[in-house]
Amino acid sequence: MKRLRTLLWLEHRRSWVWAVSLLGSLAFWAWGIKQVHAMDVGERLGIRAGILAMAAGIGAVVLCLMIGRIRAETRHGQYQVLLLTPPTGYTHIAARYLYAAAVGFAYFITIGFLYWWIMALAGIHLDPTTLVELILAVPLYGISVTVLPAMAWTLLLMVFISAYRISGPGWIPGTVMVLGTPFAFRWLVEGIVRVSYTLPGWRLFANAPAALIERFGSPDPGVTMQVNEVMYNGVPLEPLLIMLALTAAFLVIAGRIWQEVEG
Amino acid sequence: MLARLDNVTKRYVKNEGIRDLTLGFPAGEVVGVLGLNGSGKSTLLKLLAGLLFPTDGAVTVYDAWPRRNRAKLVFLGETDALWPWMTPREAEKFMAGLYSDFDRSRFNELLDALEVPRRKTKSMSRGERGRLRLAMALARNAKLYLLDEPLAGIDLLSREKILSSIVQEWHTDETILLSTHEVAEAEGLFERVIFLKDGRLALDAQAEALRQEGKSVVDAFREVLS
Repeated sequence: MKRLRTLLWLEHRRSWVWAVSLLGSLAFWAWGIKQVHAMDVGERLGIRAGILAMAAGIGAVVLCLMIGRIRAETRHGQYQVLLLTPPTGYTHIAARYLYAAAVGFAYFITIGFLYWWIMALAGIHLDPTTLVELILAVPLYGISVTVLPAMAWTLLLMVFISAYRISGPGWIPGTVMVLGTPFAFRWLVEGIVRVSYTLPGWRLFANAPAALIERFGSPDPGVTMQVNEVMYNGVPLEPLLIMLALTAAFLVIAGRIWQEVEG
Repeated sequence: MLARLDNVTKRYVKNEGIRDLTLGFPAGEVVGVLGLNGSGKSTLLKLLAGLLFPTDGAVTVYDAWPRRNRAKLVFLGETDALWPWMTPREAEKFMAGLYSDFDRSRFNELLDALEVPRRKTKSMSRGERGRLRLAMALARNAKLYLLDEPLAGIDLLSREKILSSIVQEWHTDETILLSTHEVAEAEGLFERVIFLKDGRLALDAQAEALRQEGKSVVDAFREVLS
C-alpha cells in the first residue's frame, strides 16, 4: 500500500496542473450557463444542457490526454526510472488510472450538480431520489460506459507504443491500433446493442416525468408514451458490464506490457 | 557470484550492442566498464539492470532474471531523468516510498556532502542534478550498483565530489560497476577494469596487475582501444 500511495502521490505531482485546470474549467462552464438569456424557459434549458454536454465531451478528451502522457516520459528517461522501481507494472498502471479516474469522477459528478442547477434555474423541482440519480447514478453510469474504457484504451495504446520504441519503430503498432479502433468500436457498439436489455434495465428517473409535467404541463400523448417506455425499461445494464470488463482487460494488458517492456 | 553474463549477445534493429560476452561479478569489487562511444558499456549495464533483455545468452543477478531482483540493485542511467518539478525533499519521498532499503538520513548526509541545493531540479545545473541522482542511488543499501556515466557532462568540481562520495559510501560487500569516459580521474577507484570494443570484451584485468606491469589504466585504455 505504501508503494501504491507513493505512486498516487507521484501521479498527483505529475498531473495536478491538468486536474486543477479541468476541474477549474467547470467555473467557466458555469459562467457560460449564466450568460444564456434565451426568452423561452425550455429553450434556455436546452441550450444550457447542451453546454454541459459539450463540457462533458471536452472533459473526456482532456482526461484521455492526461493519462496518455507517457511518450514524453519515455524520451526524458523517467519511464526507465519507473520501470526499475520495485512495484509491479500492474501497480504502476493502477496508480495512473486511479488518479485519472478520481479526477474524472469529481468532474462528472460536478457536471451532475450543474444539471441540477440548470433545472432549478428553469423552475423544475426534483425530489431527493431523482436528485441523487442525477448527481450520482447518471454520472457514474455515463463515465463507466464511456470515459473509463476510453482512458484505459488510451493508456494501453501509449504503453504499447512506448514498449516498441527500442525493438522497432513505435509508430507501426500505434498506427495499427489507431486505425483499428473505429472498426473495433463499431463491432463493440453492434454487439452491445444486440445484447442490451437481456438483463432487466436499471430504472432511473422514475419520478422525473412528474416533475417535468408539473413545470411544463403534459406533452402530447406520443411523447408521453416514449418517455414512459424509457422510464419503464430503464437504462441497459449490459453496456455497463461489458465496458467495465473491457476496461479491466485493457488495464491488465497494459500492466503486463509494462512488466515485460525494455527500457 | 552476484551477477553474471553467459554468452550474451544483444542485437538492436540496426546493430549489435554486445556480442557473445561472458563475465562474472563477485561481491566486493569496484569495476570500471570502459570503452569508446558505442562500445556497449551502457548496453552491458542495462542488461544487468534488467532494462534490456539479451537476444542470446543469459543474464542473472542473484541467480535470477535481473528484473525480478530490481529492488535489490541500483541502476543510475546516463540520461538526466528526474522530473523537473522534483525537489530533493520530493526525491526523498519518492525513494523512501518505493525502496525499503532507502536510508533517509544517509540521503540527507549525501545531499550535504555533495552540496546539492534544495530547489526544483529544473532550476539546478546539470552537475547539481547529477549529484542529486547520485545521492538518491547511494542512499540505498543494495549490494549491486550499476552507475552508467555518472560523470558525463558534469563540471570538474562536481566530478570530484561524486567520485569521493562513491569511495566513501562503498562497503566491502558491495559491487559497483561504473562506466565512464573520465578514465584518468576515476582510475584510482577501480580494482578491476573491463574494456569493451565494438561490443566485445577487449580486456578484463585487475587494475593492480596492470600497475605491476608498469601500466596505468589510461595506458591500457590507449593500448587496447586505439
